Amino acid sequence: MPVKYGVPSDPDYTERLAEFEARIKRGEKIEPGDWMPEEYRRQLIRMISQHAHSEVVGMLPEGAWITRAPTLKRKMILVAKVQDEAGHGQYLYHAAETLGVSREAMLDALLSGKAKYSSIFNYPTLTWADIGTIGWLVDGAAIKNQTMLAACSYGPYSRAMVRICAEETFHHKQGKEMVLLYAKGTPKQRQMAQDAINRWWWPALMMMGPHDKDSPNTEVLVRWGIKTKTNDQVRQEFINEHAPEILEAGLTLPDPDLRYDEQTGNWLHGPINWDEFWQVVGGNGPMNKERLEARRRAHAEGAWVREALEAYAAKQQKTAVAV
Amino acid sequence: MRPEVREALIAKLTALADDEVILAHRNSEWTGHGPILEEDIALANIVQDELGHATLWYGLRQALDGSDPDRLAFFRDAYEYRNCELVELPKGDWAFTMLRQFLFDLYETLWLEAAQHSTYQPLAEAVQKIMREERFHLQHTYAWVERLGLGTEESNRRLQQALDMQWGYAQQLFVPIPGEELLVAEGIVPDLAPIKARWLELATRHLQNSGLKLPINPGYQPTSRAGHTEHLWSILAEMQSTARWDAEAKVW
Amino acid sequence: MDTQWPRWEVFKQDTPSKPHQAVGSVHAADPQHALLTARNIFARRPQAVSMWVARADDIFSWTKEEIAEGQLKAESHEARGLQHPAKYLAFRKTSHKRSMTFVDYVGEVEATTPEEALRKAQATFTDAEALAWWLVPAARVFKSDPSPQTIESWFAPAKDKTYKQQQYYATIGAHVSKHKVGRGVEDEA
Repeated sequence: MPVKYGVPSDPDYTERLAEFEARIKRGEKIEPGDWMPEEYRRQLIRMISQHAHSEVVGMLPEGAWITRAPTLKRKMILVAKVQDEAGHGQYLYHAAETLGVSREAMLDALLSGKAKYSSIFNYPTLTWADIGTIGWLVDGAAIKNQTMLAACSYGPYSRAMVRICAEETFHHKQGKEMVLLYAKGTPKQRQMAQDAINRWWWPALMMMGPHDKDSPNTEVLVRWGIKTKTNDQVRQEFINEHAPEILEAGLTLPDPDLRYDEQTGNWLHGPINWDEFWQVVGGNGPMNKERLEARRRAHAEGAWVREALEAYAAKQQKTAVAV
Repeated sequence: MRPEVREALIAKLTALADDEVILAHRNSEWTGHGPILEEDIALANIVQDELGHATLWYGLRQALDGSDPDRLAFFRDAYEYRNCELVELPKGDWAFTMLRQFLFDLYETLWLEAAQHSTYQPLAEAVQKIMREERFHLQHTYAWVERLGLGTEESNRRLQQALDMQWGYAQQLFVPIPGEELLVAEGIVPDLAPIKARWLELATRHLQNSGLKLPINPGYQPTSRAGHTEHLWSILAEMQSTARWDAEAKVW
Repeated sequence: MDTQWPRWEVFKQDTPSKPHQAVGSVHAADPQHALLTARNIFARRPQAVSMWVARADDIFSWTKEEIAEGQLKAESHEARGLQHPAKYLAFRKTSHKRSMTFVDYVGEVEATTPEEALRKAQATFTDAEALAWWLVPAARVFKSDPSPQTIESWFAPAKDKTYKQQQYYATIGAHVSKHKVGRGVEDEA
């Protein structure tokens, strides 16, 4: 199947690019096999694989608490949630695969440390309340992004995101339910919930990425309908929803500058510590090394399993041909 | 229901539930660490089902004596647990986990099929629910044993090692609990002897077809669910740590 | 070199009256394993009554744009070890609307080449404009067992896993419903 990824040196590039951008404007989905700029493909592979890696690494901080969940119901919910994260990674790798990159190559990029994933997962989960807080804040932030991406111009990415959004709403709700419960619970539960909010609030705000002025990719991503909102817009939506709810629950937020702005209807936040953000992105977060090591170990320990099934399938095929 | 039958039924339901809780615990240790994404998801399905089954069995006990399922799971000590020892063994490698799951799923499926016609209606109803899921589990682990057994030399060797380790432990699944004969006599639960015969036949056939040898010396065969391996204390210490951390907490 | 196993496209049927729809793919080693895996991945929630899988490499696909540009030639079927003439299952996408599925099953055609299968599908299934076509050799499609017992075992239990539904947590959050405007996937409901 001839797949066309256009580059500016192509004689018909300008013309095709105009058609392509017109299609996006009309709300059409770009599908595998359609003409697209190589840069569109490159940006998508970068974003989708990073997103997939984030889901897969994101299983680790929460997965660590499955064996310590305090009730059978919470345990079941947490297993289902972490499982969904694996599923979402799976859907997203699929979307990237339609652009001609293999899962083997993407995993190799993750495990060799070349690929990035969401920095939030390089923070540790210290108490059970972190599980609720991650659901409420981290998934809350993720949903904002994902809802936007469900409208993305690339068909396979959009479809993956629609499926993910539908599944993810329960992640957010179960987390919120927990934190609200603990906020009204025993002194120890309350303290645990507040401590978790204190630790996760800023990293959650950083999840949307740098401010628009420091985000060089945003312009082209918006023009090509990959993103439909900027980082700051999504961040603002997140704060506007979550800040009042957390305060209403009787908890505090670790931002002395946070205030409601009557004029815009926005909750304005204080300065974000971007030094910390870039430190964690650069590999120096508290859990970067441990997370990657856990993924590497699982991958290495699973190698003989993957080989065994491949060998079995090859033998079956041989038998089938012989018969 | 006569008090001694009721007592026996409570003990049996507890044993059924405890098996599921501890096995789910071991399987859940794989979440996020499986050999490939697809299988991570598959095993997490099994874990959720097992936790669901435990909840059903504890729920039947609750209907008899009012005990709270979460209190039973999170506030009993090791010497009060009544699971078999097979499910306590550390998760080992993927072959170990898949083989244990196969041996357990085959036992459970056969037991459920025989328990369908229980004279105790709540149990018969729970069996119907659980059996649907268990049939799929068995298909899944049946396929895995075949593939690992016939895959590579390494996968066959690892699976054989798992079998050598587990075969004796698995026999405990067919040891009746004290008082179980009362339940059998009342038609509440099935007799384990014919189930064991069928299990031996089917397990042996599938294991051999998958290129494995039954161990000549079956090894240690636990006989009482009051006894445990040295692992259970640690499992419970971890599993119950959050629930027991705040004695005042009413809800989680 | 690592292997993540081959990729299989998964087609899920939600109810007996609906067509099988392309929902995504799974990595699996062999056909039976692919079916079990498809169930594990795509039946974690209701609805489903049947699943098909086919190797991604066994699927011939064309978008409207490719057809318009005359890019019809598929890799020869000999190269893929296909018999001919052969039956092909035809799948089609007809809408740009937001969706979590891609092509829908429309029916079977018999043809000697994939290109002929496409032309026949275009001539046969004319009730809506096609934005994309998938033609899959019927012999390369593996289907879940249609017996009631399997359907009950593979697909029914998901309905009871209500903790995966957001409604399960409906006791909270009702008062903030105004914040929910424009999020989620309302057009899927």
